[in-house]
Amino acid sequence: MKLVAVVACTSGIAHTYIAREKLINAAEKRGHSIKVETQGTIGVEGKLTKKDIEEADLVIMATDIQTTGNERFEGKRKIKVATNIAVKAAGQLIEKIEKEI
Amino acid sequence: MKKSLNELKRHALTAISYMLPLVVASGLLIAIGNLMGGEVIEDYTQPFTVASALTSLGVMGMGLLAPFISGYIAYSIAERPGIAPGFLMGLIANALGAGFLGGMIGGYIIGYFIRWMRRTWKVPKWADGLMPMMIIPTVSSIVVGLFMYFVVGFPIAWLTEQLISFLENLDESSRVVYGFIFGVLGHIDYGGPISKVPNLFADGLLLEGVLEPEAIKVIGGVVPPVGVTLGWLFSKIVNKRIFTKVEEDAIKVAFPMGLTMITEGVIPIAMNDLLRTLFATGMGTGVAGAINFFFQNGSPVPSGGVFVIPAMTKPFVALTALLAGSIVTGLILVLIKKRITEEEYESLQNVDEEETDLSGFRIEG
Repeated sequence: MKLVAVVACTSGIAHTYIAREKLINAAEKRGHSIKVETQGTIGVEGKLTKKDIEEADLVIMATDIQTTGNERFEGKRKIKVATNIAVKAAGQLIEKIEKEI
Repeated sequence: MKKSLNELKRHALTAISYMLPLVVASGLLIAIGNLMGGEVIEDYTQPFTVASALTSLGVMGMGLLAPFISGYIAYSIAERPGIAPGFLMGLIANALGAGFLGGMIGGYIIGYFIRWMRRTWKVPKWADGLMPMMIIPTVSSIVVGLFMYFVVGFPIAWLTEQLISFLENLDESSRVVYGFIFGVLGHIDYGGPISKVPNLFADGLLLEGVLEPEAIKVIGGVVPPVGVTLGWLFSKIVNKRIFTKVEEDAIKVAFPMGLTMITEGVIPIAMNDLLRTLFATGMGTGVAGAINFFFQNGSPVPSGGVFVIPAMTKPFVALTALLAGSIVTGLILVLIKKRITEEEYESLQNVDEEETDLSGFRIEG
């Protein structure tokens, strides 16, 4: 699968980036490609391109706060979870997606 | 019900994420200015010092708190059109003395009002451009603004005042109890979503000039990582191995991060032995909170860890609370964590993910 994800936690300095690492590890371990955009206090990093989004099978939104650019994902299949879920159960999240997509 | 509560919380968290850098900068400006002997400038036609300029800028920044909260809650609910009217509601809250709470409530009301307008009001094609530029901001500001002025504003101001006088008149033993509870709650999930609620409360009180909860929060954020580090040191001294090699490496990262109040470094260590670690760090942050509140140490800055201790009202109390809380955490860890074998110590694998219920989440679209 090709996945894209947006992560953003409240303080935007720690959880966001832990969640990014966990998602990347979990997805790649199971043979999927993933690109993760972080919206931390420093601003948007690893911005998803139009091509990334078009090619993706699913968008993971692991966010605690309102993120910017959500209109880019209109019409895409997506799953919304709290940032915390990506931090503590990224593997189970990817498994769930594999089963249900 | 739970879903709508979560939504309300999400909007508040969004606003806090925008507000934090403002409060940190303003708080530090005030602290630095005050340390240099600055005062708030009343009359700009007279000469003033650099110190007074810093203090004044910080105080003005704090005055933006209610508009920020209100404006970004409205933004979170209604997107861009929410910002300008939301800021105006925050100004009303400031003027009426309804402060932070008033700003939050104003932000929610105007946010949902604008969202409703956007969804239901239909205008002729030629007036499309007028909706976001004129109709939405003007109409919503009139309707919700008058509602704030004449209906909800003063009751909120009254509530705020009651809360503050309650906190200021607590006797010594209740201060210990409340400080302990606040210390535990504020860091129960190491910077996660639960702890954001008491921390929001602390930020709100800061705006009203009540600095003590903020000190509990700042010191409490440093206690878990320092406490875990002390636990590791103690375990070396008594020769009882309680951390794996992977965890030791995590501690080396968690400690410096922790000094700046990023508690999250403790998470990978806590995950492997959640209940025991939570108990140990909870007791530590509780004790630190109780000491802080008992001796009435306050912090004008909501973030920054040990680096803002000099700016606190009683830096010595802050240090004592930090040390005492960390020692408590460290001692409890050594006492209750299981001794681990050579084999477990070398195992590189972190314990697997905790079983988590994901059934509430669905793939949409």
